[in-house]
Amino acid sequence: MLFRRIYQFLIVYIIGLAGLLAIKYGMGLSDYVIPGIELVAETAGRVVSDYFFDVLNTLSVTILGQFISIVLAFTVGILGRKSSWVGSFIKVMAYNIQAYPIVALAPIIFILLGDGFLSRLLIASMICYFPLLLSVLGIMAAPIKDIEHFYIATGRMRWQLEVKIRAFENLSKLTTVIAGSATLAMAGTIVAEFIAADAGIGYSIRIALYQSDLSGILVALFMIGIVISVYQGMLESLGEQMKTKWSAPKGGDLL
Amino acid sequence: MQFECRDLTFTYPGAERPVLENLSFSMAAPGFNAVFGPSGVGKTSFARLLAGNGNAGSAHFVYEGISTILYSYNQERLPGWSGTGSHLDKVCPPGKEGLKEELIRIFKVESLLKSRFSQLSMGQQNRMNLIRYLIQDFDMLILDESLANVDEALRETIILTVKELFPDKLFLYISHNLTEVARFCREILILGSLDSLVVRGRDYCQGYGPDKDGLDRTMLEIMNAV
Repeated sequence: MLFRRIYQFLIVYIIGLAGLLAIKYGMGLSDYVIPGIELVAETAGRVVSDYFFDVLNTLSVTILGQFISIVLAFTVGILGRKSSWVGSFIKVMAYNIQAYPIVALAPIIFILLGDGFLSRLLIASMICYFPLLLSVLGIMAAPIKDIEHFYIATGRMRWQLEVKIRAFENLSKLTTVIAGSATLAMAGTIVAEFIAADAGIGYSIRIALYQSDLSGILVALFMIGIVISVYQGMLESLGEQMKTKWSAPKGGDLL
Repeated sequence: MQFECRDLTFTYPGAERPVLENLSFSMAAPGFNAVFGPSGVGKTSFARLLAGNGNAGSAHFVYEGISTILYSYNQERLPGWSGTGSHLDKVCPPGKEGLKEELIRIFKVESLLKSRFSQLSMGQQNRMNLIRYLIQDFDMLILDESLANVDEALRETIILTVKELFPDKLFLYISHNLTEVARFCREILILGSLDSLVVRGRDYCQGYGPDKDGLDRTMLEIMNAV
């Protein structure tokens, strides 16, 4: 799964780069507009280690932001799973708020919190929180009748058991959604770094942008792609391991 | 113990015709009784109303000595995160451990206790599901195709065991197996005829002697009523 993610990214990246080079050579553009392969390689040799640590910096904010949004999404999703007025209110609110482009709120956050770690964290969390919330709400609000019936009929149903049943039955969906939200959290962090920050790969891209250094930007995109592919691959592998551990016996025979 | 249904009419929201119309009957309880009829005639709807899963029916049922009604059905599932034995242990009320062990032995599921539910065959799943209902406290248990996909010999053993171990409970067995219903059930509610009808079954118990003519008569009576 991890390697599949990486080679899928490499294929997309190579296709994109080849497209750029085709435009460059097809239209006879200079290295200033679109850099040649030699210039990209030379820039990579110069900045790759700095960019690697910048991406790790961004990734650390991403992971923390994603963790916060997962905890929040599950808390609100579990509270909002019931068809009571509270549940309906939470669902309607979530659907309406997620329709608004959260990134547009970034300038307000920077005015209030300044251009530090907190602003980046808040924007990363907010951007991946709402899509996560909608998925968790959808999963938690859908009863698994053929399992839950017995516990309801015999008075054994507790909210913890209900959540466990629904989470277990939708483990694949949850894993996919959580892995997918990593991209959103990363995008949120990078956007925050574009607007105003003093660290991270978004900040480095902003500097490269001001210098019209497209080769630097291409190297930064490569680093972001590789690191996020590895992170997503790890999340998916973790989900697979959980699924295997939960749903299959360790040594039993298939009956 | 007495169970009665008076003028029950039930229509699904949006449907033009009622699935159950003016259904009235009474059944002596306790005993192993049945609901029989062709597919789509409203057996499951009736069972769900009876178990309180529909809000339209409760006013039409009269129970004497029946307070806890459970409804079990084919294709129910146990959670998949641990072995079936562990789930049975968790839902076994205090003091019912002996009964649970006995049912596990009679239902022939001892070797399946460490397996996950999804690894069992459909017949094994239904047996495992039925055990967890039988160890609960209940006055009436509705078995909606609860022994589907169980082989005939074992099904017979299970029904006879249930009749022997729970003589003071009321069972409503929903099945499409005419011979089985005619042989083992005391009273059989026939749905699908113009007027709902309760037919007397053979009510065979432990150590029964086959009475071919009597059984043929009962089966004929059921078929005529459908």
